[in-house]
Amino acid sequence: MPAGASGDHRRAAESDGAVSVIPAALATATALGGAGALAGCSLPRGMRIPVVGALTAGVGVGGGAVGVAALGGSRWAAALPGVLPLAGTHLAVDALAGLFMAIAGAVVAAVAVYGIGYAAGHGPHGLGSRTAQAVLPLFALTLVLVPVAASVSTFLVLWELMALASLLLVLAEHRERASVRQAGVWYAVMTHLGLVLLLIGFALFAAQAGGETFAALRAGAHTVSPMVRGLVFVLVAAAFTSKAGAVPLHAWLPRAHPEAPSPVSALMSAAMVNLGIYGLVRTGLDLLGGGPAWWWLGLMATGGASAVYGILQAAMASDLKRLLAYSTSENMGLVLIGVGASGLFAAYGDRPLAALALAAALLHVVNHAAFKALLFCAAGSVLRATGLRDLDRLGGLRPRMPVTAGLFALAALGAVALPPGNGFISEWLLLQSLIHGLAVPGVAVAVVLPLSVALIALSAGIAAAVFVKALGVGFFARPRSEQAADAKEAPPLMLAGMGLLGAGCAALALVPGLLGDGLDRAVGAVGLPGSGAVAGGGLKVRLADVSATLSPLWVVAALTAALLLAVGLPRLYGRRRRRANARLWDCGGGAPTPRMAYTATSFAEPLQRVFDDVLAPEQDVNVTPVRESAYLVERVRFQHRVPDRIEHRLYEPVLRALAGAGQASRRLAGGSVHLYLGYGFVGLVVLLLILAVGW
Amino acid sequence: MSTAVGYTAVAGQIVVVGAGAPLLTGWMRQVRARLEGRAGAGVLQPWRDARKLLRKEPISPVGTGPAFRTAPALLVATTVVAAALVPLLSTDTPVSGHADLIVVVALIALGTLVLALAGLDTGTAFGGMGASREMTVAALVEPTILLSVFALSIPAGTTNIPAIVHGAVDEPARLASPAGLLATAALAVAVLAETGRIPVDNPSTHLELTMIHEAMVLEYAGPDLALVELGAQMRLTLLLGLLSSLFVPWGIATSPSWAALAVALVLFAAKLTLLGAVLAAAEVFWAKVRLFRVPELLAGSFLLALLAVTASYFLSGAS
Amino acid sequence: MSTGLYTQLLDLACGAFLLAAVIVLWVRELTAIVRVFALQGISLAALAVLLGGHEHRWDLVGVGVGIGLLRAGVLPHLMRRALAVLTADRQRYGTAATETRETQPLINVAASLLTAALLTLLAYAVARPLTELHPTPATRALPVGLAVVLIGFFVLVTRRRALSQVVGFLLLDNGITATAFLATSGVPLIVELGVSFDVLLAVLVLQILTTRMREAFGTTDIDDLRELHD
Repeated sequence: MPAGASGDHRRAAESDGAVSVIPAALATATALGGAGALAGCSLPRGMRIPVVGALTAGVGVGGGAVGVAALGGSRWAAALPGVLPLAGTHLAVDALAGLFMAIAGAVVAAVAVYGIGYAAGHGPHGLGSRTAQAVLPLFALTLVLVPVAASVSTFLVLWELMALASLLLVLAEHRERASVRQAGVWYAVMTHLGLVLLLIGFALFAAQAGGETFAALRAGAHTVSPMVRGLVFVLVAAAFTSKAGAVPLHAWLPRAHPEAPSPVSALMSAAMVNLGIYGLVRTGLDLLGGGPAWWWLGLMATGGASAVYGILQAAMASDLKRLLAYSTSENMGLVLIGVGASGLFAAYGDRPLAALALAAALLHVVNHAAFKALLFCAAGSVLRATGLRDLDRLGGLRPRMPVTAGLFALAALGAVALPPGNGFISEWLLLQSLIHGLAVPGVAVAVVLPLSVALIALSAGIAAAVFVKALGVGFFARPRSEQAADAKEAPPLMLAGMGLLGAGCAALALVPGLLGDGLDRAVGAVGLPGSGAVAGGGLKVRLADVSATLSPLWVVAALTAALLLAVGLPRLYGRRRRRANARLWDCGGGAPTPRMAYTATSFAEPLQRVFDDVLAPEQDVNVTPVRESAYLVERVRFQHRVPDRIEHRLYEPVLRALAGAGQASRRLAGGSVHLYLGYGFVGLVVLLLILAVGW
Repeated sequence: MSTAVGYTAVAGQIVVVGAGAPLLTGWMRQVRARLEGRAGAGVLQPWRDARKLLRKEPISPVGTGPAFRTAPALLVATTVVAAALVPLLSTDTPVSGHADLIVVVALIALGTLVLALAGLDTGTAFGGMGASREMTVAALVEPTILLSVFALSIPAGTTNIPAIVHGAVDEPARLASPAGLLATAALAVAVLAETGRIPVDNPSTHLELTMIHEAMVLEYAGPDLALVELGAQMRLTLLLGLLSSLFVPWGIATSPSWAALAVALVLFAAKLTLLGAVLAAAEVFWAKVRLFRVPELLAGSFLLALLAVTASYFLSGAS
Repeated sequence: MSTGLYTQLLDLACGAFLLAAVIVLWVRELTAIVRVFALQGISLAALAVLLGGHEHRWDLVGVGVGIGLLRAGVLPHLMRRALAVLTADRQRYGTAATETRETQPLINVAASLLTAALLTLLAYAVARPLTELHPTPATRALPVGLAVVLIGFFVLVTRRRALSQVVGFLLLDNGITATAFLATSGVPLIVELGVSFDVLLAVLVLQILTTRMREAFGTTDIDDLRELHD
């Protein structure tokens, strides 16, 4: 990757050579994906999993290569008239698409390696079955191809293929648990609701702008009336934010992610939800060319609500994968705040600041993909070793699964957004863009920006609590169940996949400048000027009258030096003795049992009490007295749950109304054949009347 | 020459915070004892305690792991890096470019986090309780701190601490403005919460159910305990120093000269002595609030910080 | 063939076509209805042959002949057979008459005829823009095809006897075929073959259905079928 100051002629030559990389890599990826699907269908079980895994990794590498080439400055476009009926296929790769392809490709490659080890350990059903293995390469392929689509029909076809493939993979373990089917239903309904919204929005846009390729939409966007543009944005934003997992359309996320096999959860959380962000940036900032402030304020409100609500629900969750799913919702909320801020600043005319905010949002997408994929893979490793997802029953995994615990800790460091993790870098950049956003005039801005900073801070603080809970309760102390006590470390392939992701996290944490120019080009693809924020060894923010620097490498070096100092000085002063083992403080009452340790539920209790109004937990106590006397208790049953309040308040009334409408319309079905035929006849006559009159 | 002064300033900051923290704690305890009518143990008692603990045998409870063993050192390390960054003595050091306020806040939060993990690693109920409460308080303090950072960075146009301090030295009127005062109050409450002082937490309590910080570190003994205590004391010193640098910046060396550095050292000691005495005196008259009243206190400080930001925006004449 | 003669013959065929549809609405006896339907089939075939002859398209003539055989020959024969089976065991009890008559339709005959008139007007209104696109004698007769479609649908909706419903369905299909011929000079052979085969199959199925209905209910009055609901 050319980093900065290479000569112009060399850059031109490199981009010439790189131009042919893109179609070749795309074709390779597609071919490998198809081969993988065939292999999944036809090979016997022993060969199926490694071959499919290797081919899927190949798809990831191919997609990643296209992404890296595009980030390096190459562009490519093609129109294939025959592939789709009527409209043909239009493909285009620019830096923005390249960024998302690179992320998806890298995640796919690492998770595919991990998935070989994961699927090999399960029985004939689940991820190792023919269906799942055949669909996995196709899913990976669609993840890599969706950003390449350059017309509405191509985009929607690829989007739907991605949704269908992921649905089949979510349902892979349906034989083992009944909750998988319910999760599949929720996921199917919500993703298709999103598709319908997308269809309506894009159809409206294409009809008004006079063309369905992205180039035509871009050119014709200014001829569309503001009301239609607003309607299109609202429809499209609803669909894309639902895919990204932002409230209030997030209900599929905490259901589908825990029930899917862990490699699939990792792919969904680290590559698929990003495509919601991609769609939003592409449509809102690029195709529609920006819009009035109310669009972006709404987006920021959604993002802020997602960030706080998501992380609160994660704090309450004791199911490890549900916790991680809600954490995805939180991080996507942060990204939406960044995208919204970018649009807002652009709407008010401050384009350099808008570029900075967008760069922060995109950087957070990259960092989130790295640490979230690793977190889900580690959770899958735990699940495979113990069969448990419940943090309350885990514990004591560190001595038994040291590599998994270490990698989980590395990813959790990124997730809590503290130095030296990678999440801190993107959050710092986001905060800088918001803090300096007060230069933009407007009362709305003055109110919204401090609130956003406060929401980001609150979500970061609670995220720290969440991951202390996940790491401390899940991995440290002593095992609280037999399964946890019998845990063994994951097989080498799974560790290799996780190691790749961990290396990615570490690289992003130490040298974010690797992304440097690529990020600028991605931001430039939507028409905003490059900010040069991420460069060299760290981050520099240089705007009109604003400057700030962050050098992650320096922070790590300083921390290491200080750690050595802190470890060395007492040794110098105190007498050197070996460490002795001692008992834990037990108040004189005998050794503490593992059951006395704080569980995830108890850890989250203070937070739940503080946010009681928002969470509205439900508590149920059933006392069964002894038959002879009402004062002697035979059994007490205590149940405590924290429901998803948005589901309760928003979804249940809608579902009840739909059920009511369905019941009411039963009266339409009288049973008489004449009636049914009559409906059709009257419909036809009315339609003809309208046609006749309308002409 | 200037770099020698700069490096000395950085080293001086670390040494002052490291060696001066037990002194400050001793001073505060002494002031408190005198106000309560007791003789007190003397200002040097924390140093004596540290020396005693360092000489003891290092102990690891059964069942704990590397998280427990490395937490004290990590705590001290994060505080040392933060002490190097915050311009306690001089704004013109070789590390001034890296001294971002958000980074300093994050480093302090990192210290809290590793201690919470250590508390959970013990597997006892007290460790978990302390960790749980500490993380809750830390989560609720974050918005206040970051909004105060926001408020402070508006007039200076950057989150770089030496730049903010430099700006405050040049324009003292900024500090007396409503925004400055509100930010001071908000940050003061946040500092009390972060360092675990009354009214949020009582550092000298012996009742486990009332502990937040102490419960996490209940299992530490010997040199580990010395490091943990030192870390906590250093955090207090650092945060009080941060408050004084931001809101009473006069005396901090703005140019690389030995004389300015010496003056800064003396003035820093004086400022912290005064602040410590005021805090200790206040603690005599306050009581620790119940754990579930703490969010109300922190919400109040959050409101102050929010008002600081909006006041700074509207009153600075921005349209 | 001169244009004048051609136009006259075409109009005659279309008129007979529409008249047949209206008579289906008017008559009560099922045997008469089947006979009228056969006549309509002949007029449809004549239409196709005329069009083919005028444009010298022998494939169209062939299609017309085939249609005539199917719709004027095979289908009425099948329906007569179904009718015979229905009335066979009723002969003994002298109740054959009830089976071979259409019982009171949902909408009485007078109202049905008025509705047919309205539907014809609607067909003219809808087809006008199409006719204006390319005014030829064939396209001017387009409303006839549409009217028969609507009348056939109407018969389907309002008749009680299963066999009348079959006739209604077949009228619908006749109308569609006529529209296709008049508007575009026929559809490709393979489409016509497919459609005809479908129609044949539908009639066979309906014939079996009718027999079953009679066995189950003793009558083919579809008002007795009321179970198709939730």
